[in-house]
Amino acid sequence: MTLTKKDVRKFLSEYKIVALLIVIVIIWAFFGYLSYDSDLGGSQFLTPRNFSNLLRQMAITGMLAAAMVFVIVAGEIDLSVGSLLGLLGGIAAVMDVTYSLPLWMTIPVVIIIGLFFGLMVGWLTAYLGIPSFIVTLGGQLAFRGMVLGLTGGITIAPVHEPLKFIGQGYLPELAGDAGGVLLFLVLVFLALRTRMNRQKHNLTVPTMPAEVGRLLFAGVIILGFVLTLNDYQGVPVPVLFLLIILAVFTVIGNKTTFGRHIYAVGSNMEATRLSGVNVAYVKMMVFALMGLMCAFAGLTTTARLAAGTPSAGFGNELDAIASCFIGGTSMRGGVGSVSGALVGAVIMASLDNGMSMQGIDTFWQQIVKGVILVAAVYMDIVSSGNQRN
Amino acid sequence: MSDYLLEMHNITKDFNGVKAIDGIHLRVRQGECVGLCGENGAGKSTLMKVLSAVYPYGTWSGEILWEGKELKARNIRETEEAGIVIIHQELMMVPHLTVAENIFLGAELRTKAGFIDYDRMNAEAEKLMARLKMTDINVALPVYNYSGGKQQLVEIAKALNKNAKLLILDEPTSALTTSETRTLLNLIKEFKAHGMACVYISHKLEEVAEIADTVTVIRDGTHIGTQPMAELDTNKIITMMVGREMKNLFPREAHTIDEVVFEAKVISCWDVTNPERKVVDNVSFEIRKGEILGMAGLVGAGRTELACKLFGCWPGDHEGKVFLDGKEINIREPRDAVKLGICMVPEDRKRHGIIPLMGVGYNITMSVLKRYTSGGFIQSEVELAEIQNQIIRMKVKTAEPLLPIASLSGGNQQKAVVAKMLLPEPKVLILDEPTRGIDVGAKYEIYKLIFELAKQGVAVLMISSEMPEVLGISDRVLVMCEGKLRGNFVNEGLTQEKVLAAAIGQPITEAA
Repeated sequence: MTLTKKDVRKFLSEYKIVALLIVIVIIWAFFGYLSYDSDLGGSQFLTPRNFSNLLRQMAITGMLAAAMVFVIVAGEIDLSVGSLLGLLGGIAAVMDVTYSLPLWMTIPVVIIIGLFFGLMVGWLTAYLGIPSFIVTLGGQLAFRGMVLGLTGGITIAPVHEPLKFIGQGYLPELAGDAGGVLLFLVLVFLALRTRMNRQKHNLTVPTMPAEVGRLLFAGVIILGFVLTLNDYQGVPVPVLFLLIILAVFTVIGNKTTFGRHIYAVGSNMEATRLSGVNVAYVKMMVFALMGLMCAFAGLTTTARLAAGTPSAGFGNELDAIASCFIGGTSMRGGVGSVSGALVGAVIMASLDNGMSMQGIDTFWQQIVKGVILVAAVYMDIVSSGNQRN
Repeated sequence: MSDYLLEMHNITKDFNGVKAIDGIHLRVRQGECVGLCGENGAGKSTLMKVLSAVYPYGTWSGEILWEGKELKARNIRETEEAGIVIIHQELMMVPHLTVAENIFLGAELRTKAGFIDYDRMNAEAEKLMARLKMTDINVALPVYNYSGGKQQLVEIAKALNKNAKLLILDEPTSALTTSETRTLLNLIKEFKAHGMACVYISHKLEEVAEIADTVTVIRDGTHIGTQPMAELDTNKIITMMVGREMKNLFPREAHTIDEVVFEAKVISCWDVTNPERKVVDNVSFEIRKGEILGMAGLVGAGRTELACKLFGCWPGDHEGKVFLDGKEINIREPRDAVKLGICMVPEDRKRHGIIPLMGVGYNITMSVLKRYTSGGFIQSEVELAEIQNQIIRMKVKTAEPLLPIASLSGGNQQKAVVAKMLLPEPKVLILDEPTRGIDVGAKYEIYKLIFELAKQGVAVLMISSEMPEVLGISDRVLVMCEGKLRGNFVNEGLTQEKVLAAAIGQPITEAA
């Protein structure tokens, strides 16, 4: 059988995520080969330690990208998240270092401030009708100014141990194992429930072997994931957070009216409004979620650096936006998935990590990332057949 | 040499193995107008895309002879150079450029120094306008100042400027007022007399009957027949189009009309860009349970604006009181209206009706999604089951329930939009041009549905610019003219002439 161009295109557009995973495999194989060192007994890229590092590095971008997907799907953009992250991280550092406040006070305060700013950006965009590009460009400047004012332009350090744990800690081995098993059981339970419900409503169900095969495949992935990380120091805390966020956001996107409305608003806002949906509220809440994720990412950043710095989060909005686009989110809104964006973030982090390991200059790293972004979106256009000619 | 200007023989075009058109013939003589008829999805547009080389030579099979020689055009520019110009259903004007700039778009006249020669362009444009008898148009003004009908004529001026020998008009009157349509048809007749050929594609068979010399009918991509119009009438064309005889275009059913359910009192709306101008002027009416109230009028009479105000989506200033079941209600947003049981199917399906990237099914459930949730989560299975019910009930033709709605034909999209607005179980349903641009079969389904709803006691307000439809469906007819309510007739022995007289604002003796 010969594969025609059309078949490949169809496959890529239907299984976008598979195509992205193939890209990851290629990148990993490439760096794995480059970093091969027979003296050290194998590839330096493909080690549990580096895998753990890579995931930790992508956690912050991933948190932002998860919410950024919804913003872009709703047809908006948020350029202020890097600065807002810096501001919230700075607030966390000041509370923790300067005032030595306990964690149970710091976290809620940071989250509330994050939500507040998110709601404000959303209100300005959705209710006052100022384009989000402008509101968040203004936000980028204003929030960064606040960070500089707050920190006085100096690094605030060192943060206390409990806060550090959020960014640097690892889950004990046993907890990681238990979490993996639990996750697998939840997947099995959900699959069975869906199956029963579909049968109840006379809808078609996949064959039993297909179902079992799918679940086994998921089980193997979870097992490999947990074992690899446990082989180093355990599942990193920020990675655990990211996985929870992935699960929650995927459910929001696929299983709630709010999620459905986000996609509808991005695809055709007027038609959605005329269907009786409160579109302004949907848009505002999307930005509120973005603010919430900035709070998480800000806390994680401060914890990881063990300090609040005036430049924290600088340029992070661009990484998050790039991750979304690499992960197949449409510029025009209405299309995109959280899992895709996180895979996009893994691709970005893999490039960063692999190139740093090879000692490639930062300027090259930036050039490569820029080219990859443009190339990825072009691939997306080709595979969906949306070319202009 | 044959006496045909254009001959298309045995044209076949397939997409991924699915034949969109299969063995179609089309011949046009000089100075002849050929009507091309067929339901939506029959393959008319595909055929015209083959002719205008949107699908270049080699991507289809068959033969095109142009002035006796084989035409192997690779792009639109080549067909336009040959003299084949297509005017699309959707106007292709750049709103912020002037009339003259639009006419010369892509072929701007230039001075010796290479700059645009506006004087010459404007002068040429004025000459073209004079040929079209449109002396009241200022060619130096941006196109958005003019109505759809005028823009359509500018589009034709553009074609004349390209020295068109064959003009293809794809549903040219779907957005035009009656008088604008008149102007256009007269113009085409005049062109014919001067030897220009044209292909006229339209669902409005009266227009086809009036100007076509020959009619070609296609159905499901195959050639059904070509006959001189002299041997045909609109009923015969319909029979050829649908493959069966449509005895009754309007499946009237008896239904009881009950007490008043909805009342609008002294509604006024003002224009958005020009807040001084009243677009709806002190309109009051009532509608009863189970009543089908037709609303006629010319395009721009203020009917859509009135509907928008009632549904809570008129963006400009407005005032007036609205009563539902005798209680005054306050609708500020469409969602208030939907909650209270007032639903609207908007006029512009593409912009206001469909959510294009979403599945047909998700479009249908958009208005009542909360109904399928439990504990805040959508019960996909419950939702899917309901979607299947609706798809069957409304006879929506789709390969899969979750196929993006944009990939369906206009008629099926419309059925889905109607389904979406029926799920909230409205007491009052406003349908704004519910059958615009959809084929005869889908129209029939929608009419049947309207009667079914009336039988169930829903009050239906149907805005329509198609006079036979208004008269064929309504129990009572309201006529609007320039924002005012000019007629309120019980539909018994009501004639098109009477409605039209009210619609154009002629003094009438008040009836009913």
